[in-house]
Formats: sequence, C-alpha cells, structure tokens
Amino acid sequence: MSTSEVYDRWRSRLFPDHVIGEILSKNWIDNAIPFLFLIVTITTFGTILPNFLAVGGLSDQARELGEIVFVVLGMTIVMLAGGIDLSVGSTFALSNFVMLAAFNWQHLPVGVAIGLALLSGAIVGLVNGILVGYLRLRAFLTTLVTLIIVRAIDDTLVLKYSVAVGALNDSSNIWNFISDGDFYGAPPVFIVAMLVAIVGHIFLTRLRPGWHILAVGGSRRSAHNAGLSVRRTVAMTYVMSGIAAAAGGVFYASRLASAGASTGVGLEVTALTAAVLGGNSLGGGRGSVAKALLGAVIVLIINNSLVRMGLKSGAGSLVLGIVLLVAVGIDVRWLKNRLNVLSAVYVSPSYFKMLPCPSTAEGSDSVYALNDKLRDVELIGLGEIDGAEDPLLDEDDHLYFGNRQGDIIRYFGPDHKKSEIYAHIGGTPLGMAFDRQGNLTTCVAGMGLYQVRKDTREVIKLTDETNRSWFSIIDDSRMRLADDLDIAPDGRIFFSEATVRFDQHEWMVDALEARGNGRIICYDPRDKSTKTVVPNIRFPNGVCLAHDAKSIYYGTTWGCTVERFWIEGPKAGSVETIIANLPGYADNINRSSDGHYWLAIVGMRTPAFDLALRKPGFRRRMVRRVAQDEWLFPQMNVGNVIKFTDKGDVIDCLWDKRGVNHPMLTSCNEHKGYLYLGGVYNNRVGKYKIPGADPTFTNQRSYWGAKA
Amino acid sequence: MYLKKSLIALAATASLCAVASVALADHFDDGQWNATEKALKGKTVAFVPISMGFDLPQAWAAALQHDADKWGFKLVIRDPNWDVAAGAQALTQLIAEKPDLLIFHPLDMTAYAKLVKKAGDAGITTVQMNLKSLNTGDAYVGADWHDLLTQQTQAAVRFCGAGTSGKIALLQGNPTTPTVIIGMGGVNEVLGKNPGLKVVATQSADWDATKAHDITGTLLKQNEDLCAIVGFWDGQDIGAAAAIKEAGKTGKVKLITNGAGRQAAACDNVANGSFDSYHSYNAKGQGRDLAAIVRMLLQHKPEKGGAHPFAVYSDSKEITKANMTSESCWTIEDIKANGG
Repeated sequence: MSTSEVYDRWRSRLFPDHVIGEILSKNWIDNAIPFLFLIVTITTFGTILPNFLAVGGLSDQARELGEIVFVVLGMTIVMLAGGIDLSVGSTFALSNFVMLAAFNWQHLPVGVAIGLALLSGAIVGLVNGILVGYLRLRAFLTTLVTLIIVRAIDDTLVLKYSVAVGALNDSSNIWNFISDGDFYGAPPVFIVAMLVAIVGHIFLTRLRPGWHILAVGGSRRSAHNAGLSVRRTVAMTYVMSGIAAAAGGVFYASRLASAGASTGVGLEVTALTAAVLGGNSLGGGRGSVAKALLGAVIVLIINNSLVRMGLKSGAGSLVLGIVLLVAVGIDVRWLKNRLNVLSAVYVSPSYFKMLPCPSTAEGSDSVYALNDKLRDVELIGLGEIDGAEDPLLDEDDHLYFGNRQGDIIRYFGPDHKKSEIYAHIGGTPLGMAFDRQGNLTTCVAGMGLYQVRKDTREVIKLTDETNRSWFSIIDDSRMRLADDLDIAPDGRIFFSEATVRFDQHEWMVDALEARGNGRIICYDPRDKSTKTVVPNIRFPNGVCLAHDAKSIYYGTTWGCTVERFWIEGPKAGSVETIIANLPGYADNINRSSDGHYWLAIVGMRTPAFDLALRKPGFRRRMVRRVAQDEWLFPQMNVGNVIKFTDKGDVIDCLWDKRGVNHPMLTSCNEHKGYLYLGGVYNNRVGKYKIPGADPTFTNQRSYWGAKA
Repeated sequence: MYLKKSLIALAATASLCAVASVALADHFDDGQWNATEKALKGKTVAFVPISMGFDLPQAWAAALQHDADKWGFKLVIRDPNWDVAAGAQALTQLIAEKPDLLIFHPLDMTAYAKLVKKAGDAGITTVQMNLKSLNTGDAYVGADWHDLLTQQTQAAVRFCGAGTSGKIALLQGNPTTPTVIIGMGGVNEVLGKNPGLKVVATQSADWDATKAHDITGTLLKQNEDLCAIVGFWDGQDIGAAAAIKEAGKTGKVKLITNGAGRQAAACDNVANGSFDSYHSYNAKGQGRDLAAIVRMLLQHKPEKGGAHPFAVYSDSKEITKANMTSESCWTIEDIKANGG
C-alpha cells in the first residue's frame, strides 16, 4: 500500500470531512458569522480596554441596549418582509418628545403619556405602511422622506418647547422606577425589551402573521399567489417598526429627559448595521429575533468601546460605517455563495478498499459466471410501469409495487394484464412486505415507514423518525431514504435507511462517499417506538427475515456484502458478515422456496470504480471540478440475481446476458414457482419460471403460515 | 572577574537612580506645595466634550493636560462627536467608573441635566463648561451669553446707524442651547432700545457652517440692502462669511460673531475681512480658569454634589481690525506648551 493510500485511509478514518458540508447545510450557520464577530469584538475591545466588562456597570449598558433592541427589532421585522425603515431615528425622537411633553410639561399620567408616545410611532409607521405597502412606493426613498419630515416636525417642536419639556417631573414613582430603578440589577427597559424579544420570536416562528411576514419577504409573488395579503402584511411591519422605535424613544426619555434636536440622529444607521450584522438579510425572508439581538449587542459594544477609547471626532462613525459595509458585503456574498460552497464540499469521499472482485467470466467455473438464464422471462406491464423497485405478490396473485409518483400500483392476478392505483402515499415507495393481517407495509423514500390497510386501503404512517444520535450534525432522527423492510413474527419491523445524507433522487452520489451513511432501524408496533439498531452501514439495502426468524439479512450496496443481524437468541444484537465480497452491488433480499435466499445485484463492480474508491482525493476533485453528468458513478447497467444459503454460500446465479429485459435488477420475489424481477429504473416486471421450485410457495405462507 | 565588575556597575547605577529620584521629589515645601501635590497626584479628571473636532474643547483640554502633566493627575477624554446619545453613554459609563471630577460640555440645556444630578448623587464633583444644563453642578465655567449677545447686538447698532437700511439678520445656532435661549434675551434688550434696527430674519444654522452658508446666500438675495448679520458662533459663521464673499458684499454686509478667539478662526478672519466684529470669550482664559478650578475642587472636594455651587463667567472682548493686536488671539500650540 503506497504512502498516499495510507494517508488517505487514516484521513478518512480520523477527519470527519462530511461534517463541514453538514454544518454548512444547517440554517443556524447564518448565526455563526455574527456570533464569531461578537467573540472577535469582545476579545478585541476586551484586550484594548481595561476592565472592559467589569466597569461601566452592566446595568447601565443594559439600559441602553434595551432601547437599541427595540429599534433593531422593528427594523428587523421590516427587513424580514423585504423592506427597510430609515425613519426609525426620527420616530424615536418624536416619541421621546411626545413622552416628555405629555409627562413633564402637560403632567398627564404616565400610562397616558406612554400611550401617546407609542401612538405617535404607530402613526408614523402607518404612514410608511400605507405609502410602501398599499401605494407600492419604494421603501428606501419613502422612509428617507418620512425620516426628514418627521425630523423636521420634531425640530420645530423642540425649537419651541424644549426647555419646558426638559423640566423634570418627579411626581410618578412608576416613571422614576422606569428611569432609574432596577429589578435584581436588571433595568426595566432591559426586562421589557427581552420580553418583547421573546414575544417577537414566538410571533415570527410560531404564529401565522409572523409566517406571513417571512413568506412575503422571501418571495412577494409566491406569497401573493399563495393568497396572502402582501400589502397588508408589508404595511403592518412598518406599523410594528414605528411602535418599536417609539418604545425605544419612551425609554430614552426616561433615561435622559432631554428633548435635544440631535435625539436619535443617525439611529437608523445604527439599527440597520445591527440588523445586518446580526445576519438578517437585506433582501428579506431570512432572519430572526436572535440575530437582531446579536447584532444589537455587537453594535452597542463597538459604539461604546469606541467612545471609551476616546477616538477623535468622526472616527467612531467611520468605524461603524466600515463595519456596516463589511456586514452588507458578507451578507451579499454569503447569500450568493453559501449554496455553491455547500454543493462543492457536501460530497465528501472517504477511503474504501474492496477485496479483489470475484470472476464473472462466461464459461469459467466461478459461481458468478455469466449465463443467459433470464433470456426468456415473461414480461408484465411493459412500458406501463415506471420503476418497480420491489414487486410483491399477495396470496391472490395480485402484484404490487410502488412508483416514483408515490402510488402503489396493483396488477390483478393471475394474468397481470389490468392494473389500478391501489393507494397513493406520496414520496417514492420502495421495499414492501405484508404483515400478518395482510396489510401492505412499505418503506417510502423521503417519508418513512407506511402501511396501507388491507380492508380500507387507508394509508397510515407507522413512523418517520428515530432516535437522534448525539454527535450527528444533521438531524438524523428524520428519515430520508427508507429502503426495504421485513417483519418479524412478533410484529417488529426491521427496515434499512440507505443513507442519511442524500435524498432518493441522488442516491447514487452516496456511492462516491463510500461511507457508512446508512443504518438499520427497528419499529416496534407494540409500543410504537422506533430506534436505530445498526448504525453506520454503507448503503444498507434489502432486508429479509431468515427462515428461522431469528435473524435478518441485509445487503450493503456500496460495501458489496451481505450481513446478518441477530434479533433473537444468544447472539441478539450482533452483526456478522455472511458474504464478504460480492461481484456487484447488493440490493433486495427475499426468501426462496427451497430455504435459501434470493439477492438482486443492482449492478456489477468495475475495476475503475473499485480503484476510485481507494482514491478519495480523486473523487473529491471530480465532484468539485466536473459537472455532475460527467461524474464516475458505479456501474448500474448490468446486474444479476444470485441465490445464497443461510451460511452465505452462493449456489446459483441468473443473468440476462443481452441486457434487454433486466439490465439492472433491484429486486426478485418468488411466488408460486416464479421469480418476479423488478428494477427501479425499469419499465417492466419480469416473470421467470424457476426450474424445480415449489409451485405452492408464497411469501404469505412462508412468513405467516397457511390461511386460517 | 568581568561579572563582578558588571555587578558593581549595576549597583552603582541603581544607587545613583535612587539618589536622583529622591532629589526630584524633594521640592521645597512652602507649607502648601506638598499638600497640593498630594491632593492632585493620581486623581482622575474626566471630560466629555461635545466633540474634540473644534477649538473650544481643544483649548480646554490642552490647558488641563498641561496641568495634568505637571501635577500628575489623569485626564480622560471621551469624544461623542456631536451625538447626545453617545455623550450620555460616555457620561453614564464614567459615572460608573467614578472619576474624582467630571467635566460636562452639554450640547443643549436638557441633554445631560439628569446626568449632572446623577453624577453629583454618586459623589463625583461636576463642572459644566460654557453651555450649562438646567441642573447646577458644583461649578460653571463659561461665557455669559446674555452679555455677549448684548455686545454683539450693540456692535450691530454701531454698524447700522443712520444712512444704512438698519436691516439685520440673526444667524442662530442650535435653538436649545443657552447661547440662543439666554443670548436672545440680550439681543432683544438692545433691540428694544434701538427701534431703528429691523430684524429681517431669524434663522438657525445648527452650528453648521454649510447650513450657515446656504441660509446666508438666500438671505442676501432676499435682502439686497442687508446691513449686518449677528452670528452666534464663529465655527458656523465662517460659512456665512463665505456666502457674503461669494455675493461680493464683503465689508458691505457686516458680520458680527463670537467664539473662542483662536488665531486662525478669529484674528486671521478679522484681518482678512471675513468677520467685521469678533466677540471673543477667550477659550485660553477659560482653559486657565478651568484648570485652576479643577485644582481647587480636587483639593477641596465638595461634601455633597452641588452643595456650594459657584460660577466663573468669562470676560469677553471685541476684536476688530482697528483694535487687533498680536495678543488678541491664541494658538493651540501655545496652550499645549505653556498652559492656559
């Protein structure tokens, strides 16, 4: 073995390449950059400024943070709906003035004063909302204009009344508490802001109007087509933003009691920077309350630290401006490139060395030697069938299989000329089996384990989630590609999930990784529990209960092996390899009438791909640099069927030498002396007369005994 | 051998240093010097200006820094750059840091009123510079805006007597500052006594030279026979001067302004005719007052914030081409080198 091969082997073993792609595919990765930025910010200023966190009173910072959080939340909600609200600074100032005028000057009760201040914000927001939402004006220009107009109104008021308004009014204990009090060290503004944030989070993630906002921001047209009132939703976000900014203004009023002309000047830039820095997309649809909070904290730290550092005039704004620019840049580039990077790094090949491929040469004494036994099969549903992955027959000779439209098709026995849609499930139904009552149980790719009731044809979901593994990045509790199943006498259903990393339509890409991405799962109908019993298998495929019902056999497609998993007896829970080195990729396994097992081999191995499996670097480069239709995939054009004993001795092999009827075989099912052959990409089901087979054998009887 | 020599040399150097430091500290105590030094050394004085971007705070800071270097106290400056919220934040933070003395330079009368009180309650001595907030701290150092604007308006009376249109314009700054609120009292007082003067416009340029330029440009078109403009601050009125010059009316429209009295801002502009009458409240002198008051307050800390407040109103003087001398103005380099 060469040095580079040793390196590849150890690297595959030790370094979890696949994790990078999985992390990038997570939604929370959007928070990673802002969070990293927060850490960088804290470290940087923590190093530069002595007593960075200790001094300055976290309580005082929390006061200011509370005010900013309100404004940033408002801005975020508008941005989520695809807009922008530049008027927040002026709204903030106006609310500050209204609050002070109502309370300090007119001596109205605090509650009324706060109500009036919030109302002022709501009115500004409503104006924005009507202009942008209903009249469809450009958000940027419109709110820029309201920014100026509201600022002018505020300036005029301040010019006339600022001194009167600045007179302190000590009459209300509530107001004094809001201004200077604290609740176990936390200032009221902070507590209220956090409560609003929590409510905001629930609103955006759990409530209908919040979903509408995200939908409108994600795609206006789709939202409109889906019947949402886009205009009202957009208008509503501005009203919320106005009220939020006004709430910030109320607390600002409580803190400083100052109606100066510069109140809230430039606040829109601060809020925008915070919102974008937190990872909320300027384009709308992507963002969250948590991101807004993160951004607000970062901006506050930067702002305050720059003031504390005593930078010369203007430098602070300069730094904030640069930060905004960087944040916007990252936002745009990230959004644009994340999926590209993801597709480039998601497929992560690992090192896998196979044993030398057994010979299949025609005329050789190999048990796998090429023959033409499948030449004269009877054809069922030629041209009508689309991908019968696992044909199955019931006691009345009706033939069942799934298709890519999510239907279960039934061909009526015994001649199999006419067909019907037996049931519609969705997804792609793959492996099937009948339970004791004759209910059709099936693995549905993209959905999970389903059952069609025999009497009512009602479709029932048995399970679609299993236990989540602790250290898996992707959520492996969801089932992505349930493949084949079998049912134990006690009702337990053992089924394979081929891979947790790829969907059905790209199942072959999993071959390029050659990693143990799949698993065997057990569903127990007695307590309706689901759990993974064998993890990390290279594309586990066909599952078949042994004749003695003490173990199950499963094939590993990319591993080219057949394994036995003991479900009962002294070895229960252990796995042993029955066939270690197949000449092709193992697919479905089913019982044969003579006490052995049929195994469909979906495609034969090739030296080129066997070699490629030892070259993860080669496959990685191929995936990154070459278009997908040029990739080297495992050979899937020639397959065959073998029969093996419960010890794993191969005793028969059936080929379709011309490759006309059954080039690729995913399943073979014995029924009353015939073998029914199916292929997931084939347009027919083949019926092969097995010489000397028991003409009374049916799966139903083999599993559940003669009809009662 | 070599090592031994080195060690001896090292010991000798160390003892020399020790002697030297003793010698340095050995200042003759006249009965007060040592106490003064003890009271000042190691203290922290914090200053939050409106911005460090213009001459007034620069002059004060230079004078304070000169003192701080001499007496060994620490001067902390936090620059909010015209942003009230940032200034309030800086002050809040400083109050938590508890410096010995905190110098406010409020942007307007209400901005930091609450914080002055808060600092006093926290036991920090407070000084307010030039623009006093509604709350009184321990000391105020700054212009007497009523008198200053009175003088400026009187200059307008002088310029716009018989034979002129008697039309004047007021170019105010931020309307919520003491400059405008208090100063307008002085303006109105003089106007009341001189009915010949007609105020044709009262505009606010918000301390912004660009705004002042635009306003003045319009004013001059609207009032061809305008006699004088009473501006409220040189930093903004320089924009007005530019507008007058652009209109070709330098010298015809008199520009009366006030400010810190810095050479480049005041005397140079008087010399080149940009300003016809400059009323300086002499920031260098204010710096000296401030430095002295800081030293006094550090030696005698008021027991309770604002218990015995006092004020030092700055004198002001008019600078015109006629009375200008080389001593009329100051430079920042001079203050940095020699103090206030």
